[in-house]
Amino acid sequence: VTRLDRLYDEVVKRHSSQPYHYEKRNEQGIQAYNSICGDRFDLYIDVKDRMVNTIYFHGYGCAVSKASTSVLGRVLEGRSIAEAKEICNQFLRLLKNEVIDGEKLYSEEFKSFAVVQEVPARYDCAALAWKEVEKFLAGLDSQDY
Amino acid sequence: MSRSLTNIKSLFPLLQERPELVYLDSASTSHKPKLVIDAITSFYSSENANVHRGLYELSSSATHRYEQVRSKVKDLIGAQLEKEVAFTKGSTESINIVANSFEGILNEGDNIVISEMEHHANLIPWQQVCKKRKAMLRVLPINSNGDVVLEQLSKLLDKRTKLLAITHISNVLGTVNPVREIVEMAHVKSTPVLLDAAQSVGHMPVNVKDLDVDFLVFSAHKMFGSMGTGILYAKEKYHNMVQPLNFGGGAIREVSFDETTFMNYPSSLEAGTPNVSGVIGLGAAIDFVQQINLEEASAHTKQLASVLREKLLMLPFVKAVGNPIINSGIVPFVVDGIHAHDVAGFLVEHQIAVRAGHHCTQPLHKKFGLPATVRASFSIYNTEADVDKLVYSLKGLKKFWS
Repeated sequence: VTRLDRLYDEVVKRHSSQPYHYEKRNEQGIQAYNSICGDRFDLYIDVKDRMVNTIYFHGYGCAVSKASTSVLGRVLEGRSIAEAKEICNQFLRLLKNEVIDGEKLYSEEFKSFAVVQEVPARYDCAALAWKEVEKFLAGLDSQDY
Repeated sequence: MSRSLTNIKSLFPLLQERPELVYLDSASTSHKPKLVIDAITSFYSSENANVHRGLYELSSSATHRYEQVRSKVKDLIGAQLEKEVAFTKGSTESINIVANSFEGILNEGDNIVISEMEHHANLIPWQQVCKKRKAMLRVLPINSNGDVVLEQLSKLLDKRTKLLAITHISNVLGTVNPVREIVEMAHVKSTPVLLDAAQSVGHMPVNVKDLDVDFLVFSAHKMFGSMGTGILYAKEKYHNMVQPLNFGGGAIREVSFDETTFMNYPSSLEAGTPNVSGVIGLGAAIDFVQQINLEEASAHTKQLASVLREKLLMLPFVKAVGNPIINSGIVPFVVDGIHAHDVAGFLVEHQIAVRAGHHCTQPLHKKFGLPATVRASFSIYNTEADVDKLVYSLKGLKKFWS
C-alpha cells in the first residue's frame, strides 16, 4: 500500500465522491476558506438547546478537504456543544499526532486522515472545516442557545 | 558560439542531486545553475562588505561588483543607460514603487488600464492606488483562447488614462502578449506602459528599446538568480516622478531634522543595505543567460508546451485551458471530476512537481469558471521525457480514481 493509497483511502474516496449532507442553502453559512489554494466551503450548522442538530455543507475543495468536512458533519450531528468541541479538539490533535495512547476515537474514520502527518502539505486540507467549526463552537459560549 | 541546451541540466546542482525529480514549476521559480550559487557563496566567503559605504578595498570592490551588475542588466534588456536600472526586492516591489509614484499624479476621474490576465502583483497595487485617488481601474478583456482582445484597447485608453500596466507572458495561460502593438496603441494616446516581464526576461529576448516600454519589471529568481532581488527599469523621462517606497540611509543627499533632500533615481530607491549577494547572483545569472541562445531557449520551452498540449488532447478526461496565439512554456489544465490539488498530490508521488491552485490570478480563474487549475511550466532544463512522464502519470491518475 503506497502513501497515495493511504491518503486517498476508501473513506476519503467515498466521502469525497458522495459527501454527507452536501447541499447548497440560501442561508448565511460559516465559511471555511483557504486563500492559498482557493478551497471554500459553506457550512450550515443548526444549533438548538445546546445541541448540534444538523450540519449541511456546500462548496469547492480537494478530496481530502471535502471528505474531512463530510466526516465532520456525520460525527458532530446529534452531539452536545460540549461534546462537539471535544470531538473537534480530538480530530485536530490527531492530525498533529497528539492523540494519547489508548484514547478512544470518536470515529474510526478519523484514522484515514492521520496520514497528513506524513504529508504536511495536506494538513490544511484536512483541518480546514474543523478549525472553523471549532471557532464557531467556541463563539457560542457567550450566547444563549 | 552559445551553449547548447543538451545536457544543460547538468549545470543545476539540485537537479543533479535529485535526478528523479520532474520539475514543472519553473514559472514559480527556476532552479539555479552552479555558477550562480558559486557567485553568491564566493561573495560571502571572500568578498563580503557593504556597498557605497567604506573606503577600504573590500567595500569598494563590492560596490564595483554591485554597479557592474547594473550595467549587465542594462545590456540584457537593451536599456540606454545604466541609471535607468534600479535594484529592488522583486517584480512585486518594483510594481508597488511605480504604483505608489502614480498616486501623486492620479486625480479623481483618471484611469489606469490593466488586462484580465494580470497576476495579483500587477493588479492589486493599481486597484488600491485607484481606490485612494478615486480613479478608475479599467480591465482589458481576454477571449477564451487566453488572448487579449486588442480591439477593445483603443476604447479603454483615453485622455484620462495615466498608465497601461500589462504582463509580457501570462503566468497561467502562457500567452505571449503582442507588446509592440499594445505599446504603439498606448503611445498614440500618450499613455505610458509598464511591462511585467517576470516570465519573459531571461527566457526570451526582451529589449526595452524595441518594445518601447516606459517601465519594465522582473525578478531574478525566475531567471536562474536568487530570491529577493529584482529590477525596475524606468525611462529617463520618468525618473523625477518615481518616488521611493522606503526611506533611509544611502538614498539621501542631505538630512536635517526638518528636511531631507534625496538622491536621484535609481539611488533614491535603494535605501538601506541592498541585497548585494542577490544582485551579484543576478549578475551571474545574466552571464549564464548570455551564454545560451535565448531564441533557442524560448523555442525549446514553447515546443515542450505544444507537445504537452497535443498529448493532452488524447486524454479525454484532461482539458488544457486556453490556447493562445503565441504560446510560451506554460500549460494550465484541469482533470474531469478531480480537484487540482488531488491531481498535484498524485503527481507528487511520481516525483512530478507542478503547481495547483489559482496561481495568484483569482479574477482570471473566475473568467474561465475554474476555482483552480494545474499548471505545468517548462524551462531550459526540461525535456520531452518530462512531458511523457507527466502524461503517463495522468493516465495512472485516472485509473487510481476510477
